[in-house]
Amino acid sequence: MALQSSSRPRAWRTWLAGYALIASPLAVLALLIFFPAGQSIVRTVMVDPDAGLSAGINLDRYANFFNDPIARSNLSFTIGVTLITVFFQFIVCFPLALYLRFSTSRIAGAVQVLALFPLFVPGVILAFAIIRYLGPRGTVDVFLRVVFDYTGFVTPYLRPSGIVFALVWDHIPFTILVLTAGLRQVEDSVIEAARDVGATSLRAFFQIILPLMQRPLLIVFCLNVIGVFGAFTIPYLIGGAAPQMMGVYMQQTFTEYLDRSGAETQAVLTFLLCALIGLLYVRTVTRRRGERA
Amino acid sequence: MNRSIVRSSLRTLRRESFGIFALIALVLLIVGPLTTVVLWAFAERWRQPALLPTEWGLSYWTETLNRADILSTLPMSVGLATIVTAISALICLPAAYAFARIQFPGRQGLLLSFLAVNAFPRFGLYIAIAVVFYRLNLVGTVPGVIMIQLVNTLLTMIWIPTSAFQGVDRALEEAALDVGASRARVFFQITLPQVAPALAAALLLTFVATFYEAQGAFIIGVPNVRTMAVLMFSYINNQIVVQYGAVISMILWIPSVILLSFAQKFLRGNTVSAGFGV
Repeated sequence: MALQSSSRPRAWRTWLAGYALIASPLAVLALLIFFPAGQSIVRTVMVDPDAGLSAGINLDRYANFFNDPIARSNLSFTIGVTLITVFFQFIVCFPLALYLRFSTSRIAGAVQVLALFPLFVPGVILAFAIIRYLGPRGTVDVFLRVVFDYTGFVTPYLRPSGIVFALVWDHIPFTILVLTAGLRQVEDSVIEAARDVGATSLRAFFQIILPLMQRPLLIVFCLNVIGVFGAFTIPYLIGGAAPQMMGVYMQQTFTEYLDRSGAETQAVLTFLLCALIGLLYVRTVTRRRGERA
Repeated sequence: MNRSIVRSSLRTLRRESFGIFALIALVLLIVGPLTTVVLWAFAERWRQPALLPTEWGLSYWTETLNRADILSTLPMSVGLATIVTAISALICLPAAYAFARIQFPGRQGLLLSFLAVNAFPRFGLYIAIAVVFYRLNLVGTVPGVIMIQLVNTLLTMIWIPTSAFQGVDRALEEAALDVGASRARVFFQITLPQVAPALAAALLLTFVATFYEAQGAFIIGVPNVRTMAVLMFSYINNQIVVQYGAVISMILWIPSVILLSFAQKFLRGNTVSAGFGV
């Protein structure tokens, strides 16, 4: 009893010290992320944003969005590009990650260096490089003309394929880092044991590796979907004039048409569409931390 | 003798067929575009249909570096990245220490709340912030750009140092306290050296990421505040002289090259992936 009463005030003091130290980044989080996002969501359903919620609730701003064929096509374009990009990210990165996990050759070392290199290439340089390389009269075009006398090269620049290519490129290092970190938890001995009892590589993959990879795969999936959905630099510099990805559309609505409430509605729509994925991401990471602790 | 060498190398080739295929693909798709930029930066003249620059030289470097827009954006970029990194370190590092070492209710949940940064589509979030900043007259101002760039740094600056502080060997600290070292001395001589590499990684990653951050600076900075990364937008869209863009790209690359030279250290551990909540 005596011990408890003497430790109480000290516990309080420790708590206070802890809260004091974390207060400022939490304030930044609240003021720069939760407040803008929250107030945007509320304002888009108000009749008159300046009069407050008491004036009533309506969904006119969303009706306007969905009645606009350009807005609709931009939204479906964004969803399409996101799905295709994430699909290709998996097709490219999962085999690479598996290879890097199980091969120790010198070639694997070189593959790893190259695959992680995009980590050190910012989006603007990437866009510039891709335009110079794959654009009209770019390196590849000229090479095919001169060496193979082939003039039929179709540039992905200003086309959806260019956006997909650049976004896959951009996400390769992150995807591979997370997947190889996950694969490191799959121990050699487990796979050898499975092999010893006669499991084929394919079976070992589906029954041992894949179940253990569930979490890293989920994290990669969520962050890549949200990353592509919220992309701006790449689609702005590489994409065509129409249809546009939501990032570019929002920027244009905000900066060029000076239609702030329209841009706000578009932003909230991207939040809502990504909300489930965002929750899935937070839940996946949370569950893992909980188990570790 | 000869035949067995051929056979074994054929076997290696087959076993490594995926690796070789991947290597060729990566060279074509990753090294290719980047090499093109480097070639353009040192090309005095590159007439079609030559495969390589027809004349080499550095005259575009002096020309680019003397352009008024470069002279104004380079200090802006370096200054912004320095200020944002400093502010971020100032507010986040003490918090990381608290998250790792002090027990208080709600600690785990509050630490996880920083994941929210990743759970929003980035540009949508920037638009929501821009709408608020517009009402506060922060659009087109340096403080506005600093604040939006701060958003990007929170997770890196909290999660990486937190996991570093958690990894500190407590026994060593207690031993030092037992022999009569003061708390401050223990912190500076025992705790800090153990977390220093991770703190350096977090600072460097934050600086480089902020130096390259273009989207937030673009939406909030227009028309008054322009960083070098934002300047690249107009060079890519409206500049006929390819060399300007190539030279700016090379200059923008410098911080990355510095980061790259430390990369082995970061990538070996899970330092970078810790920033994504992996």
